Amino acid sequence: MFERRLYFHIDWWLVIAIAALCALGVVMINSTTADPTRGSSRLFVTQIYAILLGLGALVFTLSFDYRTFTDKSHLIYLGLCLALVYVIFFGDVQMGARRWISLRGFNLQPSEFAKAGVALVLAKLFGESRGALGWPTLAIGGALTAIPILLIAREPDLGTAVTLLPVFLAVAYLAGMRMRILGIMALCLVVAAPIAWKFALKDYQKSRISTFIDPTQDAKGAGYQQIQARITVGSGGLTGKGFKQGTQGQLRFLPVAHNDFIFSVLAEEQGFLGVLVALGLYLFVIVRTLEAARLAKDRLGSYLVLGVLASFTFQVVYNITMSAGLAPVKGLTLPLMSYGGSSMIATLAAFGLVLNVRMRRFTN
Amino acid sequence: MASPQDRRQAGFRLSVLQYLLTVAFSVLAVSFWILQVVQHDKFEEMAANNHQRTLALRAPRGVLFDRDGRVLVENRHSYSISIVREHTKDLGRTVRLMASVLEIPEARVRDIVDRHRREPSYRPIVIVPDATLAQVAAVTARRLDFELPDVVVEEVPTRRYPVDALAAHLFGYVGEVSDAQVAGDTDLKSGDIVGQSGIERVYNNLLMGEDGARRVVVNSVGREIRTIDEIPPTEGRRLQLTIDYDLQKAIEDGFRASGGYNGAAVLMDPNSGEVLAFASVPAYDPNAFAAGIDRATWASLNTDESRPLQDRVIQGRYPAGSTFKMAVATAALEEGTVTSDFKVYCPGHATFFGRSFQCSLPNGRGHGLIDMREAIEHSCNVYFYTVGNMVGIDKIHKWATLLGLGEKTGIDLPNEVQGLVPSPGWKRERFHEKWYAGETISVSIGQGAVSLTPISEAVYISTMANGGTRVTPHLLKAVDEGSGWRAAPPPPPRSVVQLKPETLQALRDGMWRVVNAAGTGRNARLAGYDVSGKTGTAQVISLEGGRAAKGKSNRDLRDNGWFVFFAPRDNPQIAGVVFVEHGGHGGTTAAPIAKHALETFFSKREGRPLPVIKGLPALPADNDEPIGPPSGLEGPSELPAAGLTN
Repeated sequence: MFERRLYFHIDWWLVIAIAALCALGVVMINSTTADPTRGSSRLFVTQIYAILLGLGALVFTLSFDYRTFTDKSHLIYLGLCLALVYVIFFGDVQMGARRWISLRGFNLQPSEFAKAGVALVLAKLFGESRGALGWPTLAIGGALTAIPILLIAREPDLGTAVTLLPVFLAVAYLAGMRMRILGIMALCLVVAAPIAWKFALKDYQKSRISTFIDPTQDAKGAGYQQIQARITVGSGGLTGKGFKQGTQGQLRFLPVAHNDFIFSVLAEEQGFLGVLVALGLYLFVIVRTLEAARLAKDRLGSYLVLGVLASFTFQVVYNITMSAGLAPVKGLTLPLMSYGGSSMIATLAAFGLVLNVRMRRFTN
Repeated sequence: MASPQDRRQAGFRLSVLQYLLTVAFSVLAVSFWILQVVQHDKFEEMAANNHQRTLALRAPRGVLFDRDGRVLVENRHSYSISIVREHTKDLGRTVRLMASVLEIPEARVRDIVDRHRREPSYRPIVIVPDATLAQVAAVTARRLDFELPDVVVEEVPTRRYPVDALAAHLFGYVGEVSDAQVAGDTDLKSGDIVGQSGIERVYNNLLMGEDGARRVVVNSVGREIRTIDEIPPTEGRRLQLTIDYDLQKAIEDGFRASGGYNGAAVLMDPNSGEVLAFASVPAYDPNAFAAGIDRATWASLNTDESRPLQDRVIQGRYPAGSTFKMAVATAALEEGTVTSDFKVYCPGHATFFGRSFQCSLPNGRGHGLIDMREAIEHSCNVYFYTVGNMVGIDKIHKWATLLGLGEKTGIDLPNEVQGLVPSPGWKRERFHEKWYAGETISVSIGQGAVSLTPISEAVYISTMANGGTRVTPHLLKAVDEGSGWRAAPPPPPRSVVQLKPETLQALRDGMWRVVNAAGTGRNARLAGYDVSGKTGTAQVISLEGGRAAKGKSNRDLRDNGWFVFFAPRDNPQIAGVVFVEHGGHGGTTAAPIAKHALETFFSKREGRPLPVIKGLPALPADNDEPIGPPSGLEGPSELPAAGLTN
């Protein structure tokens, strides 16, 4: 399984960039959760444990040929769906949603792992289909994506659910889906939007979108976070206020600063220069992963890498946009930096697959 | 395995993705650049507004001292309880909770909040201006429990006036600055407490001081985390007034002992114009205004028929009565119309221009053949009808004006009104009618249209006491500019004429006799001090006419009593006026008040114990430390030497 020479084909630059982002996350979590009146917070230590566990998962997903995983992807997929169903009925309720499975003080969030699961199953589906991409394959892929999306949306966790959509789109796109079909889908979305607005969206979701368009109409409620996010970022300036010197995050004008809004705090305390560094690291990780997709020895590997990258990139771009108050506030974390064990482990495990594909490009 | 064609297509599609993502990240970077660099100043200010709160530290107003260095008006600490709406999530809940904690009606809290609704949300809305300690404790406890995080308790310096409303009209009162005042003075800002009347208003710029500020860091629920910096407030300038606490008290005690008469009184140094005492009765309690007056008190002060808010000394105009006779005498003597030996026979009445005029004695009795001194002594109307008729209205008007009547005195108090000494010119202008010679007869004894303020009467008697200098009455003796006391330059006299010695002698002799011989002012006699004065009794009924007839008690219809005086006759040291509303004869009600004040003045000057007036009603029990004899706050050694002796 693990041949010694493979070691030399590991993309160390990607590993270093990922590690750097994780470290940056830990530093920012430490800064935002330190409360001098209550003694130092332990959250950043928990995050370090999560990173270590994630590295373990990374080594695990790295160690077996990725085809081993794709071969078993139907089982993995099935298991994840069962876990999601379990969560809906027996999950822990936190902040009004059932998202967690409680495992002796460690809360597991199956929806985070669904991203990689869907990427695996779609890679297998599209990678093993012969000839031109036909409607039946697309329909099956769509259905396989839709099931976990609906299950996760049921928790409810619309944010995470939506991140699965790019996985399907990206893999289908790479698999040669006609651009015309993409256009039709876009058209459907435009048509569906008003219907969704009327029937599917809950009131709090509607208010988030309408306050995004005009945050001041509800400056104390839903628009508050968006206004505060912009103030946080804008007040950082070129060089920032300094580590632990931010006022917006430190004085809790910005909620869940260590989680959804960690990038805002980075912008506040480290300034535009810090933002450039973080953006550069993320772009580096993405470009490097795209390269892994290009280098993959088979379609399966390419699809798997791109599937993993799709949800990651979507989340990164959306979260950073939201952090600057430029997108409606959605409970989406920033992969690799935000506080959260499940997300960290799942993301690192997924990057294990990326490294896996790249380093096995010469094997048979 | 993948065909080369497939590979090419996939490679192309990956390149497209890479290109799009690079563009997306560039857009993000530019967005952050716009927010963080281009719009940085705006957001930095917003962040500062978020977490920094500037709390005003109100400057205490300057302390007022009397001429001996005794504290008259000082400051105390009070607590105000306010709502800061900035971080209020549920204003209704805050209002409800606050009302129940403070035990005040919810509707009142809501009213106050509604009135200030349009102000910026970071500005505190004061709900309870002068809170009790129990209220402060109740609110503070809730604050610590985060039940009322948007409620603040501030310590503010508040004016403390003497408890017995001493010299209330003189001090005036303070209140929140009006919009018009802010518009008219760039130094003032909304919410400032400024003098609204009296000394507080005239010398507001000196008294106000400069507010300080404290910048604090607060967190998202409004809790103060730490202080960034603090600019301490600068206390207002300390002012020393010309007022003598003992004389002020003596005058007010005199009114109290008189049995509840209203009126006005002024004591002056006739040579310098320094005002030693200044009283308008009834008074109001300026303390009620100090921490913001409530509507009910304000309404009752305004609708009170005895008009306690009116400063009778400078704003009341009353017929002068016989006190005016010296003006006629002065005109006649200075113009050479008659000499003081000029005699007139008084049969008790006299006929001029076909109309009969009564003399002052009851039952139509006459004074017989009398000269000017005796005419002043007995206040003989017939004598002054005759002389006034000879002198003519123009000259009477001229000399009354030179003595200070019918003019504003220029005292350093706001809203002084002008009295009236009628003249043909005035009548032409006012009524477009010519002057009738018969009117001169009424004017000669201070009736008719003659109406004068008590302060102008004080200047009038001072002018006669000092020999012709119409001094400007003033109240400011010295100012502490922060580097010790500096004497305030006295205002220049309004006019100076040198009255002939014969004129002065005749006036002084006549007025001495009023008090010390068989005259009408015997109640003011002080053995050994040659008190000189003149009573006046002015009819009210004729002026108020029909209005007086309905719904007024007998007392309201009684004449007003005057007593103007100075002492000693030669080289006068003190002069003044006592006016008693509906007091009947001036010699009966006004003169005893003047006597008590004069006795106090001379006793104090000679180091004897101060006299105690009889018939003083018991004072209400003090519920606060009274402002009294030396408070010891400031040593008299700091005062200019001139302030110590007199």
